[in-house]
Amino acid sequence: MNAGSMTKRWELTPQQKLMIFILSMSLYGISNMITELIPEVKVGPIELKVEYFIFIPLLFAILFNPLYAALGACFGEVIFGELLLGQFGGLGELEKFIEFGLAIFIAGMLVKNPTNRRQLAIAAYVAIGIDQLLGTIVDIGKVYFGVEDFEAVPGLPESVLAIEGFAFLNAMIVSGTLFALLPTLYLVPRLYGKVEPLLGMKPRDGRASASIGDFVTPRLIILSILFFAIAGAAEFLAESDINFIDWESEFIAGLGDGAIWISMGVAAVIFIAALIWGISRKSGKRKGETV
Amino acid sequence: MELAEPTHKTTIWEKLSVERIKIELLRTAYGQSMTFLSRFDPRMLIGWYSFFAIAPWFIHNKTVLIGMLLAIAILTYTSKPSVLVLIVLAFGLVTDTAYMLIVALAFGGGFSAALALSTLTLKLLVIALASIAVFSSMDPEKLSDALLSLGMPAQFSFGVAYGYRMLPILIEEYNNLLYSYRLRGRAPLRKGFLGWRALVYMGKISVLAFYPLILNTAKRTRTTVEALEVKGFTYAVKDPRVKRIKLAYLKVLPRDYAFIIVSAIYVAFLFWLGSQFTL
Amino acid sequence: MTFQSTEEQPIIKLDNVTFRYPGAEANSLEGVSLSICRGDFIAIAGSNGSGKSTLCKCFNGLIPTYYSGDMEGTVLVDGLSTADHSVAELSKRVAYVFQDFENQLVRPTVYDEVCFAPLNFGYEDYKERGMNALRMLEIEHLRHEWIWQLSGGQKHMAALAAALALDPDVIVVDEPVAQLDPAHARVIYEKLKLLNERYGKTIVVIEHHTEFIADYCRNMVLMEKGGRVRWVKSVSEGLSAVSELTEMNIQPPQVTQAFHALRSEQAVERGIAYPITIEEAAAHWSPVVRRASFLSDTGESIVPPSSQAAGGEPLVCFEGVISGYQGIDRKKKPILQGIDLDIHEGDRIALIGNNGAGKSTLLRLISGLRRPWEGKVTVCGKDTRKSTPEELSDLVAFLFQNPEEMFIADNIRQDIEFFLKARKQEGIEPFIEDVLRRFKLTELQQRDGRLLSGGQQRRTTLAIGMAMRPTIMLLDEPTASLDIASRKELTLLFDQLREQVKAVVIATHDMQLVADWANRVIVMNEGRILLDTDSRTVFQHPEILDRAALIAPQIVQLCGRLGIEPACLSVEQFIAYMQRMPREELVYGIS
Repeated sequence: MNAGSMTKRWELTPQQKLMIFILSMSLYGISNMITELIPEVKVGPIELKVEYFIFIPLLFAILFNPLYAALGACFGEVIFGELLLGQFGGLGELEKFIEFGLAIFIAGMLVKNPTNRRQLAIAAYVAIGIDQLLGTIVDIGKVYFGVEDFEAVPGLPESVLAIEGFAFLNAMIVSGTLFALLPTLYLVPRLYGKVEPLLGMKPRDGRASASIGDFVTPRLIILSILFFAIAGAAEFLAESDINFIDWESEFIAGLGDGAIWISMGVAAVIFIAALIWGISRKSGKRKGETV
Repeated sequence: MELAEPTHKTTIWEKLSVERIKIELLRTAYGQSMTFLSRFDPRMLIGWYSFFAIAPWFIHNKTVLIGMLLAIAILTYTSKPSVLVLIVLAFGLVTDTAYMLIVALAFGGGFSAALALSTLTLKLLVIALASIAVFSSMDPEKLSDALLSLGMPAQFSFGVAYGYRMLPILIEEYNNLLYSYRLRGRAPLRKGFLGWRALVYMGKISVLAFYPLILNTAKRTRTTVEALEVKGFTYAVKDPRVKRIKLAYLKVLPRDYAFIIVSAIYVAFLFWLGSQFTL
Repeated sequence: MTFQSTEEQPIIKLDNVTFRYPGAEANSLEGVSLSICRGDFIAIAGSNGSGKSTLCKCFNGLIPTYYSGDMEGTVLVDGLSTADHSVAELSKRVAYVFQDFENQLVRPTVYDEVCFAPLNFGYEDYKERGMNALRMLEIEHLRHEWIWQLSGGQKHMAALAAALALDPDVIVVDEPVAQLDPAHARVIYEKLKLLNERYGKTIVVIEHHTEFIADYCRNMVLMEKGGRVRWVKSVSEGLSAVSELTEMNIQPPQVTQAFHALRSEQAVERGIAYPITIEEAAAHWSPVVRRASFLSDTGESIVPPSSQAAGGEPLVCFEGVISGYQGIDRKKKPILQGIDLDIHEGDRIALIGNNGAGKSTLLRLISGLRRPWEGKVTVCGKDTRKSTPEELSDLVAFLFQNPEEMFIADNIRQDIEFFLKARKQEGIEPFIEDVLRRFKLTELQQRDGRLLSGGQQRRTTLAIGMAMRPTIMLLDEPTASLDIASRKELTLLFDQLREQVKAVVIATHDMQLVADWANRVIVMNEGRILLDTDSRTVFQHPEILDRAALIAPQIVQLCGRLGIEPACLSVEQFIAYMQRMPREELVYGIS
């Protein structure tokens, strides 16, 4: 597989790669389903939500193989978290796929010794950092391209930056610590040497030393840029020819006064209707059979 | 038969019980039924969806967007999406927009900001509903086959089928592992402010339960991969013939063309309407 | 015994095969030479760790292609050397049903599963092939079922059908009885017999339940420690080697054991074949017993006295309990329908019944994991609806069916300590040491539970339960998938419980356990209690056993055939019974 740096890692057979892929896919997928359903606690702008169990693919990336762990996790998220729940988001998934895959892959590459806690801590924050950063950039981009004359609207650019920046920091500190750093530090040393026999393989040789420079090869950097370009392109397809519907500008002036309330209203109506539907169903049921 | 209301108070465990979540998940995942859209060729639907997922980004005319929204909302209704999906969508949209609005006001924005954001919300709504309408009613296996025929690697469609197979088992196992922690562990005696101690305990064991789950799944995976070898999967991935045979059932029928044409006419009409009456 | 295998060329031929897993310290197979003839129905028996599964994985090339260990010697399958052919190529000839067959099923529905392999091999008619496989096993009606909704027996059948879809010549089934209850295992064997007789498939089973070997197989291979083949014999000859089998922890059929014991007492060496099936045994003893029955009225009690609890506050009390699950369609599906039950101190209850009869639900209600929809469950005076499972766990230990779902700590010692540590108890070391010693886990305490053998895993879960010092212990299928030696050991360990635990409830399919251990038997069917009695009486109701899909131990069945009432519950009782009969009658019977 990946040349250069990867040859130094201990070799895996195709079947073992498939095992890692399946493991990462099913476990991250299941965790994703669970986190999708856990409600979030919001105290003002501070969100306490379970973003994702990023530690799961990270474990496999560190213990086995970053590429297959990352691919498996991305597939797992799309399959379990979206497809099976009927929430497949179409193109939006591509963006998540690339951000997340890249994050896990790079973080996994950084760890050369699974028993070194410092490396693990760095990997944990790098993983969530890359993912969140790319996500933030894309989100800002969305507003930028979704709103005409973005910069001309007073207050909007600042507020978007503030919100996204805050969300980024929040995710880094809360999710990064609770769901990346702590579980990684706790689980990697425990699993190392223990999970491998169950899969019928030898533990990865922690002594295969190489400097960070070995891992951050030109190839990796190029790949990163390439991936990022694809991510950008997928999202900002519009940018290249934003005026292709050339009569659009006529309508700027015509934007209705209460327009925001229409869309807010539609969303609210859906929300309320769904709530009523859900509640009316629930009240028809008995309670108390499970714990 | 109606049963008496139990006397005990429902605890946080019951509201969030994995068992309940399991039922909810299984219902969404396995409860597919025939809907209007599910009768069409999945590849055609993906194409159809792609238009509605991309086009709104370039359209700033609210008449057109609202017209699209109406049609897609109707289609979404026919595809009977789960309440859960709708709640998640609506909640996200409402809070995000409201939140952004408040912050924008704080930065001295005002009505113009609100106005600009309304278009964005409308666009996002069209895109999100389009994906719900198409994908929530589509059998995941059919979708994965469609993606396979559009060049997605075979591992993906295997993953979908495997996910279908394993989902209930993994959830059950996770549930039992959580029970193991509960039956042998000790929940905090005091609930704490707003039950935060209970919440922390619950959060902690739901993360911890992944530790044995990883080990169990690892053991399970070994046999699975052996079986895949025996069943020839590892070879089939590289064989284009297998893909052709597997996808032979996907056919674009006249009704697919009809659907595309009707959609095209509708969209054209919307653009005309948009040029006449602008919101 | 007839030998139908007439083809000259054996379908599988091993020549001096030695194999060692990568990184292992000893060889798993040692100089194995073996020929299996076309059309044979052959059993591979041997104690744990004798290389049975390793041997069978040589047949379809998983060894050495997939497991890249050190291999010597040659394996020919239908004339093809396994070293030169891919696993996929060989899979067209040899099908394999794994012991943990659940993990072999990778598709969502049965139909999908059976079509999967033919599709992967690029057969245009893959659907037809899949359907054919279902037809051969007569399970077409299952084709649209979701795999996860099938029962264990149906899953095994689906795995078998999927293996058949490539139309192989040889079918290898790894321990079908281990994961299934006896009634379902019998169904599987009937299908294998059908495949063998009607379709001419060669069947290889890994099996140590000799009663199945006796009923279905023609030949058997005995493996011994170190991966050597001890001998290959016809089944009747092989199973007659009672002492040799017993030495290797393989228990011959009960009727054969009884015959062996009775025969050697008379020291008659006539070289006649032992009876190995009920039919043979019944034919053999019926003249004797018919004469004897009016000579000796059974009189004294052979059955251990059952202690039906008398008076006192019950430990557990069910009052009109209805409970169940919520189905996918959000409809409530009641599993238990109006259960009234008292469990008293001293009760050793075997809870039996078919799958879905509500056994597990009943156990979960006692543990507090589930609460009644209607009615009330009281455990030591506590209403389970008003207490959490955490609170109840001070009184009740619940051991899950799957031991791996109970291994939540780093090693088994920590698993055993978990409960007490969570309660911050001091000075537990001596107690833990004692528990480890009593359950023979001292040597294993630093290992992970998942890497232990089935028997060791069960011992560990029992130790975990013991360390909780419960008043009531609940066990879900503790003897499933154990070989006979481990099962016996476990039954002995149950006696350890008696000192501390006031009542034990075991949900089980294992009729031997019912006969040997229980003093109270509750038969459940469709959410109701059919029968609540002692272990002797339960076997006198064949119609109830039938309804609950249970099969009585062979010796009990034999007594039924011979008209011995009350039935003997164990081989020992049967021997004692027979020995009380006039000696000359027996001699007469044997000739």
